[in-house]
Amino acid sequence: MTVDQATVATETGARVATGRARPETGRANFLQVVRVIWMREVLIYVRDRPRMISAFIMPIMMLVMFGEGLGNSIATLPGDIGYRQFIFPGMVAMIVLMNSVFSGVSIVTDRQFGFLREILVAPVSRSAICIGKIAGGATIALVNGLVMFVMAPILGIDISLEIVGKLIPLIILVSIMLTGLGVAMGSRLRSVESFQMISQVAIFPAMFLSGIFFPINNIPAWMDVIVKINPVTYAVAPIREIALSEQLSALPADAPFQITHVDWFGYTLSTWEEIGIVFVFAVAMLTISIRAIRTTE
Amino acid sequence: MPPSVQVSGLSRRFGEITAVDDISFDVGEAEIFGFLGPNGAGKTTTISMLCTLLRPTGGRATIGGHDIVDDPAGVRREIGIVFQDSTVDERLTARENLVFHGELFGMAREDIRPRAYHLLDRVGLVERSNDPVITFSGGMRRRLEVARGLMHWPSVLFLDEPTVGLDPQTRRSIWAYARSLRDTEGVTIFLTTHYMDEAEACDRVAIMDHGKIIALDTPDRLKARLGGDVVSIAGPDNEGLAREVRESFEVEPRFENDAVEFNVEQGGEFLPILLNRIEGEVRSVGIRAPTLEDVFVTMTGHQIREAEASEEDKMRSMRQRGFGRMR
Repeated sequence: MTVDQATVATETGARVATGRARPETGRANFLQVVRVIWMREVLIYVRDRPRMISAFIMPIMMLVMFGEGLGNSIATLPGDIGYRQFIFPGMVAMIVLMNSVFSGVSIVTDRQFGFLREILVAPVSRSAICIGKIAGGATIALVNGLVMFVMAPILGIDISLEIVGKLIPLIILVSIMLTGLGVAMGSRLRSVESFQMISQVAIFPAMFLSGIFFPINNIPAWMDVIVKINPVTYAVAPIREIALSEQLSALPADAPFQITHVDWFGYTLSTWEEIGIVFVFAVAMLTISIRAIRTTE
Repeated sequence: MPPSVQVSGLSRRFGEITAVDDISFDVGEAEIFGFLGPNGAGKTTTISMLCTLLRPTGGRATIGGHDIVDDPAGVRREIGIVFQDSTVDERLTARENLVFHGELFGMAREDIRPRAYHLLDRVGLVERSNDPVITFSGGMRRRLEVARGLMHWPSVLFLDEPTVGLDPQTRRSIWAYARSLRDTEGVTIFLTTHYMDEAEACDRVAIMDHGKIIALDTPDRLKARLGGDVVSIAGPDNEGLAREVRESFEVEPRFENDAVEFNVEQGGEFLPILLNRIEGEVRSVGIRAPTLEDVFVTMTGHQIREAEASEEDKMRSMRQRGFGRMR
């Protein structure tokens, strides 16, 4: 790049070509910012081949390990619901949980690369940045969840397209709740290592004490308390209720509630009530993450 | 022309430490304005405040008429920033980095691609537009950052140590581009540096030390302030020579490069007198025109600590090339 007469001439030419010397750059509108942040998250994900491939390997591994291994030693379930069928919706919730929370790591890596500064100095609303990040993480989590359904027939799981369609909005809601947690964590933590440590410390109890692996109707009292305050519990229950709606409706009247629905001191929550609780958690997480992004530097 | 940057009484304290201490200055439109000073002088802190990344603890400043505290969004639209450390996304391509920036700054869709092409062309990266930045050298990354900083037609471009850790060729090309920006587009360029030769190339230089601006003028006038020439003498006993010079000629000698240096009005006429009068052994003498380094040393009483800076340069250039970075 040497500046001689020729390049100065092109310079002037290019300015003529673009029309204006210095157009007024308006303030980017909220949705434009959300869209561009979301697009970058998705673009980076799509380019990361190993991450894509592992999304397909994970469900097979999970179902074989838990479905076959754990299934043989777990108490029998009512009706003809096999353990594999029972655990499949839980696996979907688990994949969504892990992908959602881990997506918050992108804020940590952006900070390490210095790219976060590029985003934070732009004259845009921090809420838009946060919502864009959450939209990106939720999209990736949703895609990973959907991969499970694509693999379902191969894995011998019985699930109809209609049910998958019903589950998508719920999975989006769950992803927003959990990505919000990831984003809030990502904007507070400074290293990838600490993010991984803390998210594992958070994910493991949330995963095992949520009804993903076993029915929560017959557990010790202390565990019951943790299960009931665990937001993931309220996500797993409706996902399973919808996914198994056909099998559950074939059971005797009171049986399905025992293995899926959350019970509050004798009051059994309906599917919609559980979804309502997820919604409340999602709004809370969204608020917390926006606040975290607003005050980060 | 109205000044594009106006600063009055700007201060920043971090607890007990005053990083920037009550500084005031104006920067004109289409001017290359340099902040010269050692690391830790408060240059980056000042730039961070002007770029609205850091709130001042005192004083005020406006850029293009926008107040840095009251209207940060206005300021941010007005300025382009090239940080000391890389802030490009290396997983995206060069073009994607620019497009992302354009979208973030609310540029019109039809302006983004032509502008990105034009700037990539200007910084000599147009053939690499679609390559991921991870494949770029440190110099290419820096050029990309300059292009990105200019995407949204800023009127002031901030360059924080823009050429640290770069090869001489890239340094020259960045400077050539900076000048052409000033001349053809009227962009004001505000840079920090601890390189003397870069400071010399600025239209005006503010010398900063310990958070204060100790001098502000054109490089020529700053040097003229010292008056005359710099005389240097060296011998086996420099301490003794310095004592003699101080007593006989009433000048304030300083030690530099294993020699005793001081300023006099007419170096050529002074030299014979000096050699006649001085009694200690002299092995070499020299006269030269003063540099900004001399101005700095005279005004602060210490050197700009090049050695320390160059160690840091090496580290930084390694980081920019992607060595030793944690993923």
